[in-house]
Amino acid sequence: MNAGAENAPLTFGRVHNLPIIRLIDGINEVVGRIVSIVAIVFAGIIIYDVFMRYFMGEPTRWAFDVTKQLYGFYFIMLGGYALRHQAHVRVDLVTERLGRNARRWVEAAGYVIFFFPFAWVFARRSWDFAMTSYGQGEVTYGAVQLPVYPLKMAMFVAAVLLLIQGVSEFLKLVLNKADHLEPMEPLDVR
Amino acid sequence: MSGESIALIMSGLLLLGLFMGHPLAMVLGGTAVLGAIIAGKPMVLGIVINRIFGDVLDNYVLIAIPLFVLMARFLSDSGVTDRMFEALRHLMARVTGGLGLAVVFISILLAATTGIIGASITVMGMMALRPMLQYGYDKRLATGLIAASGCLGILIPPSIMLILMASYAPGLSVGQLFAGAMMPGVVLGVMYAIYVAVIAWLRPDWAPPVADEEQISRGAMWRMLIVEAVPPLVLILGILGSLLAGIATATEASAIGAVLALLIVITRGRFEWKTFYSALLETGRTSAMILFIVVGATAFTGVFNITGGLRASQDLIRGLADDPYTLVAVMLLVVFILGMFLDWTGIVLLSFPIFLPLVSEMGIEPLWFVVLMAVVLQTSFLSPPFGYALFYMRAIAPPEVSTTDIIRGVLPFIALIIVMCAMIILFPGLVTWLPTTLYGG
Amino acid sequence: ENWTMTSTWPSSLELIEIDKHWVELANSLIDDDKLTIEFYEGGSLVPAGEVFGAVESGTIQAGADWPGYWAGRDSAFSPLATTASLFNAVDYVNWIQEWGGADLYNEVYGKFGMVYLPYGVTNNESGFRTVDKPIKTIEDLNGLRLRLSGLEQGKLLEKLGGNQVSMAGGEIYQSLERGVIDGAEFSTPNVDFSGGFQQVTKYWSTPGWHQSSSVFGVMINKAAWDALDEETQSRLETAADATMLWSLAFTEKRATEAFAQFKEAGTEINRLDDAALEQIQKMANQTIEEVACENPLSAKVYASQIGYLQDYASWRDASAPFNLGRTPNGPDLAKIEGCAQ
Ligand code: NA
Ligand code: NA
Repeated sequence: MNAGAENAPLTFGRVHNLPIIRLIDGINEVVGRIVSIVAIVFAGIIIYDVFMRYFMGEPTRWAFDVTKQLYGFYFIMLGGYALRHQAHVRVDLVTERLGRNARRWVEAAGYVIFFFPFAWVFARRSWDFAMTSYGQGEVTYGAVQLPVYPLKMAMFVAAVLLLIQGVSEFLKLVLNKADHLEPMEPLDVR
Repeated sequence: MSGESIALIMSGLLLLGLFMGHPLAMVLGGTAVLGAIIAGKPMVLGIVINRIFGDVLDNYVLIAIPLFVLMARFLSDSGVTDRMFEALRHLMARVTGGLGLAVVFISILLAATTGIIGASITVMGMMALRPMLQYGYDKRLATGLIAASGCLGILIPPSIMLILMASYAPGLSVGQLFAGAMMPGVVLGVMYAIYVAVIAWLRPDWAPPVADEEQISRGAMWRMLIVEAVPPLVLILGILGSLLAGIATATEASAIGAVLALLIVITRGRFEWKTFYSALLETGRTSAMILFIVVGATAFTGVFNITGGLRASQDLIRGLADDPYTLVAVMLLVVFILGMFLDWTGIVLLSFPIFLPLVSEMGIEPLWFVVLMAVVLQTSFLSPPFGYALFYMRAIAPPEVSTTDIIRGVLPFIALIIVMCAMIILFPGLVTWLPTTLYGG
Repeated sequence: ENWTMTSTWPSSLELIEIDKHWVELANSLIDDDKLTIEFYEGGSLVPAGEVFGAVESGTIQAGADWPGYWAGRDSAFSPLATTASLFNAVDYVNWIQEWGGADLYNEVYGKFGMVYLPYGVTNNESGFRTVDKPIKTIEDLNGLRLRLSGLEQGKLLEKLGGNQVSMAGGEIYQSLERGVIDGAEFSTPNVDFSGGFQQVTKYWSTPGWHQSSSVFGVMINKAAWDALDEETQSRLETAADATMLWSLAFTEKRATEAFAQFKEAGTEINRLDDAALEQIQKMANQTIEEVACENPLSAKVYASQIGYLQDYASWRDASAPFNLGRTPNGPDLAKIEGCAQ
């Protein structure tokens, strides 16, 4: 969304001197760079399945469920990474008119009012959700039985990644280290 | 607490969060949590997780979104669009208004290959705006035309907006929506072209022909057109053809599209690991951005429903309209106004759960209604103060083009979109003819 | 008390009528200050696949379902929902009400902190509808990609040479239209007709051997159930019994009407012959034995069902031809009882 996102891909973004911010940003950066590759994996599986079905007349039994699970894993794990790069869409009609400091505090308040309650409930409840599924050894329903709980556990991990990235972004705002407050450019691809 | 109060409180929180500049996805999710607590029903928050998992993660249809985003990235990396425009520009330059027509035609073609608009507007803006201004095109006409034509990408299939709509509209498939939006999208593009032609005829100085010395030989021009335009055409046919001819699902078509686009990059010798990897990273961020809005919205809608806010909102709309036409008019107006402030993802996800039950209650054809929504949502990209197309143009346009020029430039096109909506209401066949022909009644 | 209840069925599927019937009956039988059930159509609160989790966690108090959807959590849910070539609707009613079935529903759902009231039963499902290849014999199944629900059902189809494709109800129509699958089973004829399958399939192969009858009902969170007084609980049960009787007649009437509509729409209907059904019965028995022996609880349910069939056989066969349905030559009871230990 901002200029940083445009240049970020092969740099490590701005390195902050507070260890906790560095750590969190580093974790989500590494997760983002690895998980982003999964898109090619499920694209490949879909193509393979289409090929097997129309040219070999033998559809795979597993492709449907596996691609669905990989896709779910892919986007949910990238939530924190997207937040780290300020890629989540927002409306800054009002805040862009504010002074830098006022804007900083208004944005920090947004984290307190909206982000943390949501991210906390998301993490807390998905933990229960994942543990219930794990305890039951839940599998998909039908002749092919794939375990479902790994994806539910990934959802919990993703919620935690999002939550800690929120902590990092909040600290950047409060400590006046946020670099996204410069004038924004629109999203590069939409 | 009554449904009315909770509807009011949750809408208020939503507006507050938006104007505080907080990410939409998190505002929606946060409002869901606060709404449940304020309504005195914190235990309903469990459905938030059920919904996020069942509606967003475990959703085969939505797989197409990251893949169409990836395809758009590969396609813009391939340079196909740049050269296609160059060729058409030379072909049409001699005609009054020719450059403008070239913009519309390329945009329609691009729209048929990509499901997102950012790529179209950025590419067209960079390619077309400079020559148009250089040859004396009116600033407002040039910027408005490029912005509006670029938005066709999300109406003419494939489109991630239609995919999301299908996922939220029970009983409608992506294929039906793609077929339904095809004619309205192309007709809207043709209306833009007619508008340019009429302006060029009335005010030739706004859209002058291009000077001769800029032109290249006809042979070179045709060669360019054939060499440059054929691969993307194959791509279009591959994707839409396979989808509509009954071979692949939208999800499968998106995977095929992404791989075809990558092949075009490779065969043109433009492949580099570095750009390939950055395309993946950017696709990851964009997909997470879109799908997290779905996450937030599904949380919001679930709580809004279970606390009675949804029913209260529906009663409110019912009270405003007692016949189908008024109802549709009210809904179009609501979407138009929301479009000034919100992006399409939020509008679709918030309005569909409220609107669609009312629509089926009134006996309105859901396919027709959803496509009508898709058409009116074109304005959300163009209408100030919040419109992606305006932001893209602002970022691309040279300083001598003022933001006011851009906004005044898009106004006629917003009017044309509204005319298009009226035409769909008067002639429902524009939407229903193709899906009925392809899929039966 | 105030309960929030939802269903696995969207308002577009006629199966939701059974849920609504029970809710309306329960609400009218029970004073508002004792209990009011607020019903939300499927998908509006939680997606269909999450209704179980929402009731289990107590987020909502009640959820209408078809038990087979939860077979991924415990395969014993499968025989509570349907059987391959075993029970008809009357068998389910007999077994649930007088041969100990009701307790088994509560035992299986009880594992997940829920009470279960079965309140809907539909007889034999339509069977497979195919686009351009009629299924007249078992050989015709060979190599076909068919949409089919269920674990036992999928394994049985694979034994018969077909391939199971799992997909949500909403995707079937388009997949038939575009040839992604060769055919599909969905539900009873009336529900199938409302899904528009006559527009995209030429052939219909009866009977529905994969799902000889189906049960529907409501999952109730145990804590919410325990919070009710006995009087209210018993009225909910009364409403369930009344709804079950109604659902059978309602669906059979609607299925008969829909059968005529399918014929009118030009669908070619073929019935598999008795020899074919006998062969399917053997394979079904094998499948049931295999699946039951992977899970003692599933074996326990099957053992109870087969025990009922054998017990009832003496009188059922003696009263022929005025009897209720047939006595299937079912799976090996002793073997399944052995697996239930
Ligand atoms: Na498009
Ligand atoms: Na707008």
